Amino acid sequence: MPEPTPEGDLIELRLPCQARYIAVARLAVSGIAARIGLTLDDVEDLKVAVSEACTNVIDHAFGSCAPDQCMTLRCWAREGELRVEVIDAGCGFEATEPPADRPDSPQPRGLGLFLIRELMDEVQVFSSAGAGTTVRMVKRAGEEQEPQ
Amino acid sequence: MRVERQEAEGWLTVVAVTGELDAYTAPELRTALQEAMDGGAQFLVADLTAVEYIDSVGLGILVAAAKRAAAAGGALSVASDASSVTKVFQISGTHELLGLQPTLPESREFLASRRQEHAGTNS
Repeated sequence: MPEPTPEGDLIELRLPCQARYIAVARLAVSGIAARIGLTLDDVEDLKVAVSEACTNVIDHAFGSCAPDQCMTLRCWAREGELRVEVIDAGCGFEATEPPADRPDSPQPRGLGLFLIRELMDEVQVFSSAGAGTTVRMVKRAGEEQEPQ
Repeated sequence: MRVERQEAEGWLTVVAVTGELDAYTAPELRTALQEAMDGGAQFLVADLTAVEYIDSVGLGILVAAAKRAAAAGGALSVASDASSVTKVFQISGTHELLGLQPTLPESREFLASRRQEHAGTNS
């Protein structure tokens, strides 16, 4: 991903890939968001989106490939805008954009990504087989989401 | 998180949850709902009025329970009026399937009328 470094303060948190630490990711993100002028509604949206991304890492990132059983939460915070990346070094997948259609019966990965896209202002998923997956999302203060 | 099961009335089971429902805590809710239905419960309230957080994991468990209850001739109703919780139901389009009501008494009323409809259909 060769591109300019995002603006803002960089905050990184490395977490074991265990469900009990998802709440820690939520706490970290809501603490940061509350300090840069995001609204309570924005914070609630971020909590769900970050939890969904972490849950997907725990459920899907590490199959039969050699596991680095950690995920990294990388945030760039500036007034009115939080950019969050949830990064794993797991198996990855070949498709650049996994399906995220509104499901009739929830499929964990599909529904999680669907919610992330609904709740965030920008979402990008980068993945390649063997090289892990990064979910990048941006939330801006008080901005209504356009359907993506 | 805490999950408590109450036999509210003979025909109605209430599973009350307190705290946050995510991938770590939600399996406890799945177990409580499954055990209630294994024991013959047909009409169930998932009382989430004391839940401040839910994501797709909790949602998936509630949808599965609602479908199982419906298949057994019953119904499930979720009680919640927290915007952080109801928003997840609204944007996933599951609020109707989950019989979403703002309070426990309204969920009970909702299920009572569903039960009467079922009784009417079966007679």
